[in-house]
Amino acid sequence: MNVDEVARLIKKYADDVKIVGARHVFAVTDKERYIEALTALRDNDLKHLTTITGVDRGDIVDVIYHIHCGESLLNLKLSIPKTALEIETVTDIFPGAILYERELMEMLGVQVKGHPDPRRLFLSDDWPAGKFPLRKEAKK
Amino acid sequence: MTFIVPIGPQHPALEEPAHFRIEVKGEEIVGVDLRLGYNHKGIEQALSDRSYAHGLYLSARVCGICNSTHSLAFTRAVESVAGIECPDRARYIRVIDAELERIHSHLLWAGIAAHEIGFTTLFMLFWRDRELSLDMRELLFGHRIYASGTYLGGARVDIKEKDIPQLIRTLAKLEKSVKHYIDVCTSDRTIIARCSGVGVLKKKDALELCAVGPTARASGVDFDIRRDDPYAAYDEISFDVIVERDGDVLAKVVVRLREILESIGIIRQAIDAMPKGAIRTKFPENVPENEAVGRTEAPRGELMYYVRSNGTNKPERVRIRTPSYANWPSAKPMLVGGTIAEIPIVVASIDPCYSCTDRVTIVDAETGKFRIMTKEELRRLRR
Repeated sequence: MNVDEVARLIKKYADDVKIVGARHVFAVTDKERYIEALTALRDNDLKHLTTITGVDRGDIVDVIYHIHCGESLLNLKLSIPKTALEIETVTDIFPGAILYERELMEMLGVQVKGHPDPRRLFLSDDWPAGKFPLRKEAKK
Repeated sequence: MTFIVPIGPQHPALEEPAHFRIEVKGEEIVGVDLRLGYNHKGIEQALSDRSYAHGLYLSARVCGICNSTHSLAFTRAVESVAGIECPDRARYIRVIDAELERIHSHLLWAGIAAHEIGFTTLFMLFWRDRELSLDMRELLFGHRIYASGTYLGGARVDIKEKDIPQLIRTLAKLEKSVKHYIDVCTSDRTIIARCSGVGVLKKKDALELCAVGPTARASGVDFDIRRDDPYAAYDEISFDVIVERDGDVLAKVVVRLREILESIGIIRQAIDAMPKGAIRTKFPENVPENEAVGRTEAPRGELMYYVRSNGTNKPERVRIRTPSYANWPSAKPMLVGGTIAEIPIVVASIDPCYSCTDRVTIVDAETGKFRIMTKEELRRLRR
């Protein structure tokens, strides 16, 4: 799928769809629509989730799903407030998301509801609970 | 009744640590659990504490073998956020750097695979010829391993005209040997007995588990970032994406060896097409607020850097997704159904690349239960 086709497909589920360069699409979605959006992508035979990125932006955490779309890459962003840091798992849509979601949980403290194996991935067993290394407050 | 066989974190088969808990029923593997993070170095955080110019060197040190492709992916993302383009000559230098790295990495892997199946002669031969590619990296970029020819806004060093004849001669030597190795690996009885039909990753699993690189391509997934999201000068060079259908260890061997031949062809084209001119443009000190993704095809598969800038000379956030990390979920379907004796070669077939330290797993011989000792417990024992 080229960038225009991806932009057309994702428009229904996201706002602020931007095409950057020849191959990259950035879009912003919300909690109500992101599962629908990812399901629609999968149903269009886009099965490769490159990774999930978490970015601490102060009061909110951005969760970005990077989806490889053949000839292009879609970066679908979801902003969630730190007061309710909770998302649904996408492992039922993209089974390959299993490790990325575990990393998101331990590094940024985003709760992923319905994850089949919510153990730690990289952090040691004696790492203090409730301390998330990639949060801004962890720097202090 | 099943038993748990703990393997690692330190083990004789692999040079780097990961802890496997293999659930077996007799000889047959019925379940696999994996424990990573023994050398999580916190580089993502460290990158946002450093300027872009410093970060370039740190990104090259994420992985010793893949240093060129790491600095290239980082640079690609950083150049996109800064909105600058590098000169044409530098784009070709980047291709030569990346392909020499692929050749040495694939030969290194082929040697390790031969070692895992006990074929030491072949291991020595692979590593003898790998030296040729390392010599070329030293000749062109000044370092056998840490070549990292990329710099922000261009290339770190220029390729000198006088070095090109030697590069061409070496490529011819490498091509001849690799063609011979492909014949050996597809006809030798020992190799076929140990690799054919072993550690199969089905295409459906490879797609579902988002496998990348030769691991995915050996299972019939036609996916290569050099073609799908071209960078450097790959859009001006013709090459085939090597795909095999069988998904077993043998297919992974063949994919990697045939990719070396493609890499040799790519370098030859890059030498011919490389224009003269500047190798670097000025990179701004401060980068405006923006975000971008830079992907490259590392020897092990798709490598991704996400960079978010904030108007200063340091990035706000850098996210790295390395190819081995993406391939770990595929280890399970490859191991389950096989035997204990197959573990080393199957695990090695992903060409895992990871790093080290820490704890001990205690397994109770009577109950089969296990627990991991913490650093504190180990410290107490030492006293």
